[in-house]
Amino acid sequence: MASTSHVTIRKRLAVVLIIVILIMGALSCRLGYLQLYQSHWLSENAIDQRIRNIPVEARRGNIYDRKGQKLAVSISIESVYAIPAEIRDVETTAANLAAILDLDKNKLLDKLKKRQAFTWIARKVTTEQAEGVRKVDLAGIGLTEEGERYYPQDNVAAHVLGFTGLDSQGLDGVELTFDQYLRGNKGSIVIEYDAKGREIPYAVHRYLAPEVGNDVYLTLDIVIQQIVERELDKVMQETKAKGASIIAMDPYTGEILALANRPDYNPNHFAEYEPKNWRNAAISNAFEPGSTFKILTTTAALGEKIVSLNERFFDSGAIEVQGRTIHCWKHGGHGSETFKEVVENSCNTGFVTVGLRLGAENFYKYLHAFGLGETTGIDLPGEAKGIMIKESKVTPINLATMAMGQSIAVTPIQLIDAVCAVINGGEHIKPQIVREIKNKDGAMVKSFAKEGLGQVISNEVSVEVKEVLESVVANGTGKNAAIEGYRIGGKTGTAQKVGAGGYMPGKYIASFIGFAPADKPQIVFLVAIDEPEGIYYGGQIAAPVFKNVMQDVLPYIKN
Amino acid sequence: MLSNRLIRKLDFTLIAAVVGIVVVSLIIIGSATHINTPSDERYWFVQRQGIFAIVNCALVFFMLHFDYKILQRYGNALYIFNLVMLVAVMVLGQSALGAQRWIQIGPITLQPSEFSKIIMIISLATMLDKRMGKLNTFKDLLPVAAYVALPFLLVMKQPDLGTALVFMAIFFGMIFAAGVNLRLLMIIFGTGLACMPVFWHFLKDYQKMRIMVFMDPNVDPLGSGYHIIQSKIAIGSGMLFGKGLFGGTQSQLNFLPENHTDFIFAVIGEELGFIGATFVLILYFIMLYRGTKIANEARDNFGALLAVGITSMLTFHVLVNVGMTAGIMPVTGIPLPLMSYGVSSLTTNLVAAGILLNIYMRRQKIMF
Repeated sequence: MASTSHVTIRKRLAVVLIIVILIMGALSCRLGYLQLYQSHWLSENAIDQRIRNIPVEARRGNIYDRKGQKLAVSISIESVYAIPAEIRDVETTAANLAAILDLDKNKLLDKLKKRQAFTWIARKVTTEQAEGVRKVDLAGIGLTEEGERYYPQDNVAAHVLGFTGLDSQGLDGVELTFDQYLRGNKGSIVIEYDAKGREIPYAVHRYLAPEVGNDVYLTLDIVIQQIVERELDKVMQETKAKGASIIAMDPYTGEILALANRPDYNPNHFAEYEPKNWRNAAISNAFEPGSTFKILTTTAALGEKIVSLNERFFDSGAIEVQGRTIHCWKHGGHGSETFKEVVENSCNTGFVTVGLRLGAENFYKYLHAFGLGETTGIDLPGEAKGIMIKESKVTPINLATMAMGQSIAVTPIQLIDAVCAVINGGEHIKPQIVREIKNKDGAMVKSFAKEGLGQVISNEVSVEVKEVLESVVANGTGKNAAIEGYRIGGKTGTAQKVGAGGYMPGKYIASFIGFAPADKPQIVFLVAIDEPEGIYYGGQIAAPVFKNVMQDVLPYIKN
Repeated sequence: MLSNRLIRKLDFTLIAAVVGIVVVSLIIIGSATHINTPSDERYWFVQRQGIFAIVNCALVFFMLHFDYKILQRYGNALYIFNLVMLVAVMVLGQSALGAQRWIQIGPITLQPSEFSKIIMIISLATMLDKRMGKLNTFKDLLPVAAYVALPFLLVMKQPDLGTALVFMAIFFGMIFAAGVNLRLLMIIFGTGLACMPVFWHFLKDYQKMRIMVFMDPNVDPLGSGYHIIQSKIAIGSGMLFGKGLFGGTQSQLNFLPENHTDFIFAVIGEELGFIGATFVLILYFIMLYRGTKIANEARDNFGALLAVGITSMLTFHVLVNVGMTAGIMPVTGIPLPLMSYGVSSLTTNLVAAGILLNIYMRRQKIMF
């Protein structure tokens, strides 16, 4: 072997070895980059490709009234889905399905040809259709159970219950606010697929069972609710009003015992109604309350001890404030009267005097303590907070009109909640719509205790106001609410509606707030009738509604 | 029988690396062909590869009895045989995947282009042996180039771009070792690069597509880019420790095509992780390192040239195959030596390893 060429070949072999080392090094670096640096992203890619989920809907929890009456239940109904990759013959599959489910074949074809792991063919089909699909047994087509909401009482308590959408998601009412408890957790069937979309025979098929939703027990009492609904229908027919609302509340616990509005809707077919029918006026509509608001003025005045029940007032029929004359509703005035009689007569000039005597600072202190100007926080969607003139901007004329329930707008729920505080011994409490939430085994998930928001007045003042309100019904404007053999307290209200450019002629809201028994109230009602035709006085049309309701409810709650 | 003196001079390191790779290969082929799922044919691939491995080892052992020197005597005859074989493929061969590469003989499907690689090395070594250090001008190089060009063009015609490129690697590796003038080599490379655009026009459409998807696999993610994307996902998702044997979702669920042949390294990456893949690369490195060492210690130029040719071939295979699965080389049908399923490739590479052993066994202690 020639030595010169041998030296060359050795040098060159060294170069070959270096090239080999560089190549192997480069390959290792590339591996490290893929497996250590980019690995997370690539792993997710690997999982995405082979796992498919078929959703299994959880049965939605039921809604009951306080005594366990069913108000909303879920019935099981089947839906048809497709896993396009598994379909063998798209044409026949589409033709078959189109015939059974009464669908457009071409649209179905497009759907089945799309590259997607899962698609719905038809949601919530009839039993016959489901049976038909089961019989033809097409590859890649399956049935899964879904829940359909059913409201056995139809319209009853519709505004409290609300309704659900196609995916059983709560859309309004308690269905919406307690959706997270009611809906449960979706389950799924996890299937591993290979590259050709074939189900892998030995692969993990996991069935993740859905978790049934919890049951919600409302504070509503279906018996009281039905009485309320009945009377609303009656008054709507009699007065041809635009709308009406009734709220019933337990003044000591804040529990809503009944809540209904007109116009209403049937949640089983909610989509067939105009959206305005869905509106829960009792919590969403702010209105000038008029004389019912005088309960709060009275309470503030007695609480501040700026007036006593026996103090005498003189009503000449009008009073001048800041150069504006305010008339009493009674032409010529009530003449000489005690403060108690001022309330009984709902005398405007007397309240103006008291309001001005209270002053803005004191008056607002009470309004805030009663929770006005803010939402009550009831667990229903769409609550309004009303309109209140800012304390810093309030003028004597504002104060004078506010004392008689004008220049301020409140929602029915705010008003009844404030009255609860007046008559329950002085404690402001939050209105409750749900009593408790239980799981499917009946175990308590959450219970809603009374939520006190602070003492507004002393018990003595509360007793005084109750006495005055009892005599309003016994001797004053609320006579139409009186029921033989029961002690009833209450206050009427008639307020002209405010529109663009001031008060609207001929448009009134007649209302009545009353409770019984007057000394230790078990239940308080608010009745509001929006734009009645003909007679519009609260004492004449709202008080009788209250009376009719209370007459039936009192014997019931005594038991 | 071999004398004890010769047996003691065997390269046991190389043997260990080769056996290691073959063992890993059998396990991974088993995994890639679903040996753990019951079916009638689940043992088919592993059995076949295993039997051929044993038969070939016996063949190699038998060949060790002869001095590799006799190959030089048949160098030119082998060259002719090679040409005949490649022409035969074109005439008799079976078409698959768009190329004519296989000849069916009884139950065995042969891929002559695999064997032609080792034949090419032997005949080129024979030719270069007489030209050591005499490759200084273009005129000197021309006969050598023509000698390689003939089989090269036949392979290109199949078309088998992968094998043709292996021929190039062997050619350049061997003329480099044979002491080709470096300036001449540079000029050849320079011209080659400059002619790339011209060369592009001679590629088939699917070959052009492969290069295009190599630049950006997402050009055609479900078509030509599919292999690269799935392979990268497989390797990457293996992470440090891998998903475990039979646990590779990409390969077990057939997302990864050709997973027991050309893309077997992706299965290793997925199931054995970075650690396993690096271990396999180290085995290859040992093999290649021994290749250069054997070239260095060969008793004659012919032996050195053979060893360099074999090392060049193996290096190129490992680079292109592993690079392809890792997405840094375009897709060409080049198997991973001793690892991919395929009896022709296995035989070729074991014979190549046998030749390396033969050269090393008959090395001369060089005394300085």
